[in-house]
Amino acid sequence: MAANLTAGAIAKMLSGEVTGEKEMTPILQVTEIKLIQQARRNQEQMSVERYKVALSDGIQSQEGMLSAASNALVKQGSIQIGSILRLTRFNCSPVRNRRIVIVNEQEIIAEKCVIIGNTLPMFTSNAQSNSVANSPRAQAVQIQAFGTGFHRQQATRTAVNVVTTSPYVSSNAGYGSSRQEQSYYSRPPPVQPQPPSMNVNRSPPVDRNQATTPMMIPIAALNPYQGRWTIKARVTSKGELKHYNKNHGDGKLFSFDLLDADGGEIRVTCFNEVVDKFFDVIVVGNVYLISKGSLRPVRREYNHLPNDYELQLESWSTVQQCYEDDVAIPRNRFRFRFIGDIENMESNSIVDLIGIVLSISPSGLIMRRNGTEAQKKALQLMDMSGRSVEVTMWGNFCNAEGQRLQSLCDSGAFPVLAVKAGRISEFNGKQVSTIGSSQLYVEPDFPEAREVREWYKREDRSAPCISISRVYSGAGRQDVRKVITQIKDENLGTSEKPDWITVSATISFMKVENFCYTACPIMIGDRPCSKKVTNNGDGTWRCERCDRSVDECDYRYILQLQLQDHTGVTWATAFQEAGEEIMGMPAKELYYLKYEDQDEEKFEDIIRKAAFTKYIFKLKVKEETYGDENRVKATVVKAEKLDYSSDTRSLLEAIHKLRTEDANPLAINPESSNYRSGAFNSGIGTSVGVPSREFGLPAANQFSSGSRPLGGMILCGACGSNGHVFANCPSFMSEPQGQHYVSTQGRNAGRGMPRQHVGSY
Amino acid sequence: MDTSSPSAFVNGSLMRRYIGQKVRTVIQVVGSDVGSVVGKSTDDLQIIVKGSPPTTTTPSTYLEVIGIAENENSIRAEVWTNFGNSFDPVNYNELCKLANGEFKHLFI
Repeated sequence: MAANLTAGAIAKMLSGEVTGEKEMTPILQVTEIKLIQQARRNQEQMSVERYKVALSDGIQSQEGMLSAASNALVKQGSIQIGSILRLTRFNCSPVRNRRIVIVNEQEIIAEKCVIIGNTLPMFTSNAQSNSVANSPRAQAVQIQAFGTGFHRQQATRTAVNVVTTSPYVSSNAGYGSSRQEQSYYSRPPPVQPQPPSMNVNRSPPVDRNQATTPMMIPIAALNPYQGRWTIKARVTSKGELKHYNKNHGDGKLFSFDLLDADGGEIRVTCFNEVVDKFFDVIVVGNVYLISKGSLRPVRREYNHLPNDYELQLESWSTVQQCYEDDVAIPRNRFRFRFIGDIENMESNSIVDLIGIVLSISPSGLIMRRNGTEAQKKALQLMDMSGRSVEVTMWGNFCNAEGQRLQSLCDSGAFPVLAVKAGRISEFNGKQVSTIGSSQLYVEPDFPEAREVREWYKREDRSAPCISISRVYSGAGRQDVRKVITQIKDENLGTSEKPDWITVSATISFMKVENFCYTACPIMIGDRPCSKKVTNNGDGTWRCERCDRSVDECDYRYILQLQLQDHTGVTWATAFQEAGEEIMGMPAKELYYLKYEDQDEEKFEDIIRKAAFTKYIFKLKVKEETYGDENRVKATVVKAEKLDYSSDTRSLLEAIHKLRTEDANPLAINPESSNYRSGAFNSGIGTSVGVPSREFGLPAANQFSSGSRPLGGMILCGACGSNGHVFANCPSFMSEPQGQHYVSTQGRNAGRGMPRQHVGSY
Repeated sequence: MDTSSPSAFVNGSLMRRYIGQKVRTVIQVVGSDVGSVVGKSTDDLQIIVKGSPPTTTTPSTYLEVIGIAENENSIRAEVWTNFGNSFDPVNYNELCKLANGEFKHLFI
């Protein structure tokens, strides 16, 4: 509709170019209407009603008077605020200091219309005196009354302007920006001084000759005190249309990012009806001239661009496409970082990366905590820092860029991938994930990409790549092998979520009292309720949760166990499933055995058999609060008899890893290297290996907390051979020496031990 | 059991280092003769063990033998131990390699 108003007409009328309908019959919009009682001097004292209007061409507005004949039209509503009129007979004449349009005849094009453009309110309710011909003094009053600091158009045109601006400025001394306005006068080149507008509040700015001199500024210079501005920038990304639901209503929004020739970036958001206006206009890659948006402070949780502000477009904002492309404005602006630096960066920070995709795994579906499913795809990205990181893409990225990468990798290629705005998270080391505003570029064509490709060609393909993401096979809970003292050392279970670990340990003690409890057998869904039931006295059992009584209760294990491995001891509780595995019989049987049959001997036999057997325990470690006290509790989720063969294999792998890492020495933790020299006698000589991130020496706990013991290695602390724990160590057989080993923690101590003991054990 | 003479963990290929010395190894029984047992070492070399096994050896059981290495593929056994049928030769092989290689100082 803006096209229908004769743009520039008002300017011409004000300048005197157009004085009447002979020059043009402009189409203008009524932006204000005011009833004036005009005192007629030469008639009866009756005052005449006339309507004073403000007419706008979408850019500027001018004061005008409708003919008395048109009064009726106004009264009946044919002419109202927003009406579009074509002036068929009119006169522009200077009255006093202003040019006023006297509209003798008009054609009503539209009665009702949304206000186009952003011209100012011209009259205020009280300032206007009752005559059309305002004295300059009154005019000054009017200006002062504005308070919002907007100048009247006419003021600019005449010398009065200078006079009026000073009272204006002084009256608005409270506005910091008015001072800025003063300075404004000196700056703009055009003939008329351009009083600036302030977008301090959400009101449309004064529109001064928008068509002729756009005030182009770099994005980096945008600030809330800037009056009129226009930016010329390219859209680097466009977000999806999002709907939101808040207490005060629903809405929709979309955002896009702009980049200008100076490298400045800013995000622009449109809400609700503004979305409709601009959503189809904005296309990624095009250059636009944007003006009259409101500048807001940046919302950091959504916006990661390096700008303290962000733009919000309103219905009066203008977006104009530049059809000739501006080569000076780059297509993208990246701030690439090395993967090696990520380790030192904070979680949740945003980073751009570029590197080679080493491997990519097929998309998987993950169930989120709130029950929704999400598609994810993981790949390993390596860059010139020699480090690799796991990059996870979510949602649409899996299908689009993800699939492309998958097919490239499956065909044996190692494509270059650039990630813009990936979020660093801490999950198995450091990882990078895509977020809503991320962008992935497969085999891009920027200089950095070429550099990476060249580097990779030169680089030996089989060069070891250190991953900062610890990759464990198997989704979900990983089989994290730990030794018992690590539970305390690493403060497992103290973070918000429980830690799931696997230990290879022996049951060294079992509490025989209360090894089971009476449980409710009623099924809830597919599981029995299992809440403790109380004896009603008459042989029935009552469950609180199910609110029922049952005749026969279940017996469920609640075994308090002491687990021990070569590093230390911990208490754990085993429930039904694990309990059955350990004891070898259902809890009910055992209960009957003890209490009903009173077969103490057999009972003890069973207990003895269960103890001192080695299992692979899967433990859930979590800190729980009991009143004031925080205790870390371990629950046995699963107990499996140790399969020596597979366990040994994993140990072998561990050994090999140690050895290969020894060959490429990493930064050694100085504490642990001291430990090493201390532990071994000089006779031993070379150290076994360098403690890497994941492996160390079993006895390391005893020394500095910095070094970590071998994960899952069953290395005998006493004699140093594998396959058993020092509790089972054959060298243990000879008691005195056994004690000796415990105290010295020395692998060296086992040095002289003959091997025959293995046979006897 | 006397601990005076330690025996080194060997597999087939490592035996030559310990000729004349006490060694121990695990073999998988392939066949038996009068007075000797033919077995396969954990690295798939043939080993002949002289002596008499305690029980009749059925093929594919694992036996540990401790004795003096006469030459690079035969041992004069002193001690026999039946390791049963489920034994992982790969792990044992790796053990032998490590025990004689990098971690030799941990053993003898």
